[in-house]
Amino acid sequence: MFRTALLRSARQAARSTPRWQTPIARPAARSSLLQSKQIIPAAYFQAVRCYSASAGLSKDEVQGRIMDLLKNFDKVTDASKLNAESHFHNDLGLDSLDTVEVVMAIEEEFSLEIPDKQADAIHSVKQAVDYILSQPDGKGAIPILRH
Amino acid sequence: MVRYTGLQKDVLALYRQCLRAVRDKPSATRSNFRAFARAEFRKHISISKKDFSTIEYLLRRGRNQLESYHDPEIRNIYQ
Repeated sequence: MFRTALLRSARQAARSTPRWQTPIARPAARSSLLQSKQIIPAAYFQAVRCYSASAGLSKDEVQGRIMDLLKNFDKVTDASKLNAESHFHNDLGLDSLDTVEVVMAIEEEFSLEIPDKQADAIHSVKQAVDYILSQPDGKGAIPILRH
Repeated sequence: MVRYTGLQKDVLALYRQCLRAVRDKPSATRSNFRAFARAEFRKHISISKKDFSTIEYLLRRGRNQLESYHDPEIRNIYQ
């Protein structure tokens, strides 16, 4: 029974392939055979589509990840002062070296490299969130592969 | 808005370089390297920002240290 299920899913996967093709790749004159393949309920290729993430990062997600990171930073002693507007020095009591460490941790969290000049300008949670969102891979990015 | 002097920026840039260099080290000993860099910078935290010659000397020494510890042969560090 498992084998038949496997075979069926394999067949469905093979059948749904034409759906992924971009319109340019499709032959101009479709055969009747190909057209019958087009009538496939959307649910069949849902499993494959799961890998495509929704576009970009939301502001809340970026904010949440940065706040989590600060919460786990050993120099932040007073977590109650941590909010979306917190200033690293004035609110959280971090010095310039700590700020560098926080910015480096943000780099690692979002897998990007912040140039020194921009990194020196990040002094608060809000500035960090704005910087991340302004990056090409952030929210403003134009998704390249979307069907 | 905090504004840093040129020398302060140099120190922060060196600290950043050190922390970046830590990423090239084996993951098992990375925390040792990070702790070392942290301690080295903290050791001189009380120096006045007007004490240019000392800071410049420490910067030079720090850069040399970074270069020698960045060697891939060095896999662990003890304080």
